[in-house]
Amino acid sequence: MCPSITTTMNLVRTAALTLALVALTASTAIAQSKDYGKALTLKDATPISSILKDPAAWDGKRVLVEGLIIEVCEERGCWIRIASDKAFESLRFKVDDGVMTFPQEAKGKTVLAEGVVKVKSLTREQAVAQAREVAKERGTLASFDPAKVKGPVTDVQLSGEGARVK
Amino acid sequence: MTAPVDDRRADRANGPRWSWRRLSIVLHRDIGYLAVALTIAYGISGIAVNHIADWNPNYKISKRFTTIAPIALDSAPAMVDLAVARLALTEPPRSSYQPDPQTLQLFYGEQVYHVDLPSGKVMVESTVPRRVLHELNQLHLNEPKRVWTYVADLYALSLILLAVTGLFVLKGKYGITGRGGWLTAAGALLPLGFWLFYLR
Repeated sequence: MCPSITTTMNLVRTAALTLALVALTASTAIAQSKDYGKALTLKDATPISSILKDPAAWDGKRVLVEGLIIEVCEERGCWIRIASDKAFESLRFKVDDGVMTFPQEAKGKTVLAEGVVKVKSLTREQAVAQAREVAKERGTLASFDPAKVKGPVTDVQLSGEGARVK
Repeated sequence: MTAPVDDRRADRANGPRWSWRRLSIVLHRDIGYLAVALTIAYGISGIAVNHIADWNPNYKISKRFTTIAPIALDSAPAMVDLAVARLALTEPPRSSYQPDPQTLQLFYGEQVYHVDLPSGKVMVESTVPRRVLHELNQLHLNEPKRVWTYVADLYALSLILLAVTGLFVLKGKYGITGRGGWLTAAGALLPLGFWLFYLR
């Protein structure tokens, strides 16, 4: 066989070995990491209750929040619901599909999550549409009852950029 | 008819030291072997996530219902202890939460207990990963990010190389100038047709 073809074959074999080593390194990194998305940049956490008390004051601001993960998007892992420091309150941390994927196993763990506060006024129709989408992601669309959705409402959520699940 | 082995060796010896076609064959063969595992993995995952609207390709989620004696509203730790005892659970939960005054949630790894305190009705939600398929989906959808992004890029480049070199593996009536050309055109028309009629 001519030398150039032999060289090419050797290159391909070397590439194969490198690829396998890289994959092994990657798998080790996967096992050790519990960070999602971009690295956290803020040090001090803002209480979720402060954001929910006066959402308009926080609209568009970058914040770091800390709390218990009480729900994870079943369909794509593209959002988590974080318990507030105040009883019976929570905040949804939403990311674009594929940017971060939270595993269902994260439920019940504590998260540090950084993102931008988004406040939207929803008409009743918009609130129903959003609730329907959430029901779809929860896998409860069959039992979804639009009559139970209140509106108009002010929707507050964190547009997620990075998170660390502890 | 297939040429005798000695003739083929003679052809190689008399032919050019290298040619684009010979390079294509070697690349197609060796990259093909390299790409087998990931192609099968991505193919299986692709079918699974295509139907995400109808089923969860990552987790088996099930719900079962049971009933315990009602729990009087009290401090959260006291209600958790009572719920754990009445459910006959052997360990305390990883954590707990009350989404509203009447509901208590107990988090146990793959299981979450939703206790309706006044009635004692309990929904046990179990979320178990689909072994192998879940891992394949994680790789296919690039959940690990970091180094895997570059591995996946290399794999995508390998697929492009496989496609291009594959065009020149055969020559003659079954090659790109013959039947291969028509099949290649048909393969290109399929996505083009869908785009024209369904997406435009």
